[in-house]
Amino acid sequence: MLDKVRIIFQKELLDNVRDRRTLGSALFGTLLGPLILLFIIVLIGRFVSEARDDEKPLKLPVQGAEHAPSLIQFLRQQNIEILPPPEDAETLVRNGDLEVALVIAPDYGEDFSAGRPATVEIIEDSSRQTASIAVSRVTNLLQAYSRQIGALRLVARGINPQITQALEIQSRDVATPQSQVLTFLNTLPYFLMFALFSGGAGVIIDGTAGERERGSLEPLLINPVPRRDFVLGKLLAAIPFAAGTILISLIAYALIFNVVPLENFIGLRLSIDPLALLNIFIVCLPMIVLATALQMIIATFARNFKEAQTYVGFLPLAPALPGLGLAFLPVKAELWTMLIPTFGQQLLINQFMRGEPVSALNVIVSALVTLVLAVILTVIAIRLYDREQIILGR
Amino acid sequence: MIEVIDLYKSFGPVKAVHGVSFTAPDGRITGLLGPNGAGKSTTLRMLYTLLKPDSGTARVDGFEVAAAPLEVQKRIGALPDARGLYPRLTARENVRYYGQLHGLNGAELEARIEGLVKMLEMGEIADRRTEGFSTGERLKVAIARALVHQPKNVLLDEPTNGLDVMSTRAMRDVIRRLRDEGQCVLFSSHIMQEVAALCDQIVIMAHGKVAASGSADELRTQTGQQNLEDAFVSVIGSEEGLER
Repeated sequence: MLDKVRIIFQKELLDNVRDRRTLGSALFGTLLGPLILLFIIVLIGRFVSEARDDEKPLKLPVQGAEHAPSLIQFLRQQNIEILPPPEDAETLVRNGDLEVALVIAPDYGEDFSAGRPATVEIIEDSSRQTASIAVSRVTNLLQAYSRQIGALRLVARGINPQITQALEIQSRDVATPQSQVLTFLNTLPYFLMFALFSGGAGVIIDGTAGERERGSLEPLLINPVPRRDFVLGKLLAAIPFAAGTILISLIAYALIFNVVPLENFIGLRLSIDPLALLNIFIVCLPMIVLATALQMIIATFARNFKEAQTYVGFLPLAPALPGLGLAFLPVKAELWTMLIPTFGQQLLINQFMRGEPVSALNVIVSALVTLVLAVILTVIAIRLYDREQIILGR
Repeated sequence: MIEVIDLYKSFGPVKAVHGVSFTAPDGRITGLLGPNGAGKSTTLRMLYTLLKPDSGTARVDGFEVAAAPLEVQKRIGALPDARGLYPRLTARENVRYYGQLHGLNGAELEARIEGLVKMLEMGEIADRRTEGFSTGERLKVAIARALVHQPKNVLLDEPTNGLDVMSTRAMRDVIRRLRDEGQCVLFSSHIMQEVAALCDQIVIMAHGKVAASGSADELRTQTGQQNLEDAFVSVIGSEEGLER
């Protein structure tokens, strides 16, 4: 029995390896995910580090600078470049032409000398994310000046300024270096699900809907081979391609995080343990069989090549969306979650990436459940191939 | 030998094959003649075991199509209406694949493929990928892969479809050669001349039924017509769907 399966497997493998165009586009699709991630990291990192740069002088237009000379002098010493007041500060800030502006009221001097809180107004647009860093820098400096003057006034009255500070708040951060990387790495399962499903999809669709459309399925099925062997041969042929896609994805992520000097961009050292990536690959293997069987069923049902491609294209969303949800709503990797194929594995993948200890029982349960489902789906696919509709189409 | 006994097949309300019976003996060319929609292809598909008869029997060399499909498939070589090739494989690889699926391999398989390459004059195209082959070239590959396992029964569905004059003549030579080697040849056509030129025995089908059958002489006598083509038309009822 295996004999014919081997013959079919070899032919499908050879045929698809020769399909340079599909292989090329699959490769491109696979690398797209990691490349986009790299691009985002570099872009955001660059922007954030530039904005945080206290070395660069911040341009601050001030109206009424003449009312608060010592405040202005303080600001200049803190690397703030004071600019003359603009025509209409509010409109400029709202448009984004100015990030922040300061307005000092004429009665500032009077209030200040009398020991009353003297008003300074910060003009900002809170809906502009990009300006927030400039705004907080100005706010922090004004608060620092206020505290400074406040402390001096208390000292002048013979009171120790520390009396006003009832608590000293300290923070002890227990996050591991890997978990600091959380935000970025949480997208990995999402991209992996797409890689997993795209790698073998072309092979399966071509071998089923494609064969029917090209008119080569009918003569093929006239050969004295049980339908089951055709299904198995075609399924098995898709697996190396799907596995290769995952492998390339993981290697790409490994290169991004371990080789590219990311700390230059975001000031943070990210790394993924190569052993963790190997474990992730192993965890993905049962899912490859599941994905291939599902695709086979869809491609057999579809009326034609285009339909098959469309439905198979939607397939990755089913496992990927819950995975994406994990990035925002963390779920613990408990045994019951392992009973959900693809969801359990994504939890395990997250654990491997964060460097958390992974339970062997979880891995085994997850793999078994997935494989059992894959076998059931394969049997369904074989039943579909037995039907007359396989020749007739719809 | 192919025996068809009282075969019925419907698709929903469409009665594609409605009580068809005939026998195609070994060493003879039997033609299924009829307009499009007569039920020729459906009958052939039941013989290839791709469709199951609703009722009735069909046997190839004694084996029943419904009960022993694999045995039937081992004993037939088919050129169905759908005769697509694998564009990324060479002509030789296409034929080899089907040979392997029939359980052949090694030197014997290669020798047979080479024999077919020579017989069908495929020397120039044998090791080219079939992508971009002309209709005639595709047909040669399709025939080769149908014959690589030397089947005793050869079933051809409209074999000269889309062929030019030269290729049509070559096709007829192949069919006659198979008959001369003792195989049972069954082919379907809607071209009267084709059937008249080749067939030892003719089964005329229309509307899912057998309208008449017999040798060319017998049909002329039965219908009282001078020439075969007029005989066909009188049996079927009109010229519609037939080609001279």
